Amino acid sequence: MDFILPLVDALSYILILVLIALGLMIVFGMMGVINMAHGELFMIGAYVMVVCQNSGLPFLAGLIIAPLFVGLLGLIIESLLIRHIYLRPLDTILATWGLSIALKQLIVLWFGPESQSIASPVDSMVTLGTFSYPAYRLLVMGAAILLIGGTFWTFLKTDFGLQARAVIARPDTAATLGINTRHLYRWSFVIGTALAGLAGALIAPTISVDPQMGLGYLIPGFLSILVGGAGPLAGVLAGGAAVGGTNSLLTVWISPVAAQIAVFLLAILVIRMRPEGLLGGKK
Amino acid sequence: MLEISNLQAGYNEAMVLHDFSLIIESGKVTALMGRNGMGKTTLLKSIMGLLPLASGRISLDGQPLQGLETHKISQAGVGYVPQGREVFEDFTVYENLRLAALGSDIGSLEMLPQIFNWFPILEKRLSQKAGTFSGGQQQILAIARALITRPKILLLDEPTEGIQPSIVHEIGVKLAEISTQTGLTILLVEQNVDMVKTMADDIAFIENGALMEQCSKQILLENDALLHRYLSL
Amino acid sequence: MRHLLPVILLGSLFAIAPLFLSDYWISQLSIYLIYGLLALSLSLVWGYGGILCFGQAVFFGIGAYVMAVMTKGMILPGLTHTFIGLIAAVTASVLFAIALGYFLFAGKGISGPYLAIVTLAIAIVLERLMSNWYALGGYNGLLDIPPMNIGLFGFDFELWDSIPIFYTLLIVVFVIFLGLSILTRSSYGMLLTALKTHPERLAFFGFSVLQLRLSVFALSAGIAGFAGALFVTVDGFASPTLIGFTLSTEILIWVALGGKEMLMAAFLGAIATRFAESWLSEIFGDYWILALGLAFMASVVLLPKGLIATPLSALAKKLKIRL
Repeated sequence: MDFILPLVDALSYILILVLIALGLMIVFGMMGVINMAHGELFMIGAYVMVVCQNSGLPFLAGLIIAPLFVGLLGLIIESLLIRHIYLRPLDTILATWGLSIALKQLIVLWFGPESQSIASPVDSMVTLGTFSYPAYRLLVMGAAILLIGGTFWTFLKTDFGLQARAVIARPDTAATLGINTRHLYRWSFVIGTALAGLAGALIAPTISVDPQMGLGYLIPGFLSILVGGAGPLAGVLAGGAAVGGTNSLLTVWISPVAAQIAVFLLAILVIRMRPEGLLGGKK
Repeated sequence: MLEISNLQAGYNEAMVLHDFSLIIESGKVTALMGRNGMGKTTLLKSIMGLLPLASGRISLDGQPLQGLETHKISQAGVGYVPQGREVFEDFTVYENLRLAALGSDIGSLEMLPQIFNWFPILEKRLSQKAGTFSGGQQQILAIARALITRPKILLLDEPTEGIQPSIVHEIGVKLAEISTQTGLTILLVEQNVDMVKTMADDIAFIENGALMEQCSKQILLENDALLHRYLSL
Repeated sequence: MRHLLPVILLGSLFAIAPLFLSDYWISQLSIYLIYGLLALSLSLVWGYGGILCFGQAVFFGIGAYVMAVMTKGMILPGLTHTFIGLIAAVTASVLFAIALGYFLFAGKGISGPYLAIVTLAIAIVLERLMSNWYALGGYNGLLDIPPMNIGLFGFDFELWDSIPIFYTLLIVVFVIFLGLSILTRSSYGMLLTALKTHPERLAFFGFSVLQLRLSVFALSAGIAGFAGALFVTVDGFASPTLIGFTLSTEILIWVALGGKEMLMAAFLGAIATRFAESWLSEIFGDYWILALGLAFMASVVLLPKGLIATPLSALAKKLKIRL
């Protein structure tokens, strides 16, 4: 049964990756904005948990505060930075890169460069026959599935989602129908950042929380989007599964370094050979 | 009444409209005719706020429109059917209509029965993807999508382009009927003379970004010289 | 030749700088010159060629490692001369750039944001690779790289002191700077401008867009590799950080802050940023990085042409020269 554990680990990594990539994808797909600070927003979500733990707040409170706080941060970032450079996609890469440096350094100044640890709210293990797994990790996976499902539902089934998809497809036409595109850009950005914050908070107890943690998720997140295809939302699932799955499994079977190198190279190959992504259409 | 006065607009430094002025009477269908590249589409895009104005004023029933964001212009009562229809191919007919309703002031689908009354085909194919429609059917959807917001004025950019002639006539008759029935003002940009003769009350001719002549349809019917001069027909 | 005057003037300023500087600052300035050269290489490919390369340090690092391996005699113990090392370093960077460029740009190719992400990923991959390539020192890198030896035909003339190192670098860097200034104003420079703005029209006029992209990518990589090779002779040390992600993004910040579309601004951007870093980080400590991030962000939004290029081009307009 020793192959089940790596598979569950892989699934767990994939779900987190998809959660992060979803936020990136909403912003990229909709506005063409590459948010290099997305990893830092994810990190700040985890640091909200650190603050909550230090001030004795219950774990659940942290899970509520993290997305709210990071979402608010997203709102500020959108108003002060992103909205001024919507029409300059390459500049958004540079500007958000500057932001990512600043946010990282703020955390270093505040908490120091060392890593923090968050106590898991549930210590028990779930045992099924010979297979045994930390209960909290299973909870995180469940929560991630719910969040991914919720995001899909929001974008595919609600009026907000209908307008958002219209703006992605034909921004000018949507505006001539009375849709406030700016408004949609703003709230989609906020949703994307709040998702990153919540993802960071959720997995904080399972990883070491440090100021550099963002990048380790940002690049795989982007590769997932590009591999899966930036068009349909479902591309994130395919891309996340391909990138995350390969990475986790190769980590176990070869080594973490070889896995990362192999995954990056494979991803680059896929992006080069199929720029529209695995699930992308004719575009 | 849509009043356009002394409009200058274009792309970057290249101005397409030069001192363009036009008045469109309420409840009437005005057709704007002219050769390609004379500024017809630029005019409609400028009215919709899709192109920035260099100078000039636009007002609808006395309310100034210039400088407003596109969605505000739409909500002020300007319906727009763009060139090439631009329906959302991945959306169903219902989603296309629902989207327009969401953007309008009404925010509801109370116009839907009326729309189905005018265009029964949409009711039959409500859950079909717009991308599977023929050009003519997409045009009907694009018009319905604009009408569902109950506009005061409807801007139509070459609705007959790439559509089979039988449907062209049908659309023309239907739009004329809707205008008479509801008092809807229409600005029709068109090169198809039959369509103009079917629908229009007034005709305006544009050349090199300026209004050359405005007359009633009667004059056009009696006199081919105008068509010859402005459309080389 | 009028447009070369500012470059010559800047070079003369550098040439008299040692009169007023301590030994420490002269060595610092030598390193800055190399970073300035690296910035020129990115300005060429990004500002002039329109290729946003998020992994410029890759070529710098390749140059550095090849130089280290050659001059330490790790492969060919008989051929350890500086000049041979430099030739090998530049050749390696150029070949890698051609191979990578062909892979990235041929056919439909990758461009825009995709290219940025892909080149960033490549920098990360290579940094990981070098950190774990134990024959090349792994994480610790290669130490004791010999200094520059500019003697020929059996005569050795090794540069150990800061003053000769500085002037050698000054000459080399400014010769390349002048060469690039001439090149970007030649017909090749006009082709690059066309490549950046209207690549489809270039193809229409019978120019190969791919060849042009490859040429500017390879030239830029060669200069970056050359800078990397010079760097290790001065620093004596090649480590995975030279090839990686952090340095790549730092170069990007220098060039963007200075002004990517003006060689002079990119060059000064690198030198000013490095200088500010060693000066301000002593005063402000960790707040310096925060300030750098914020300044970078603000300059991208408010002065997309660059903090240095904007006033410089205004000045140049007044003096009626083209920079």
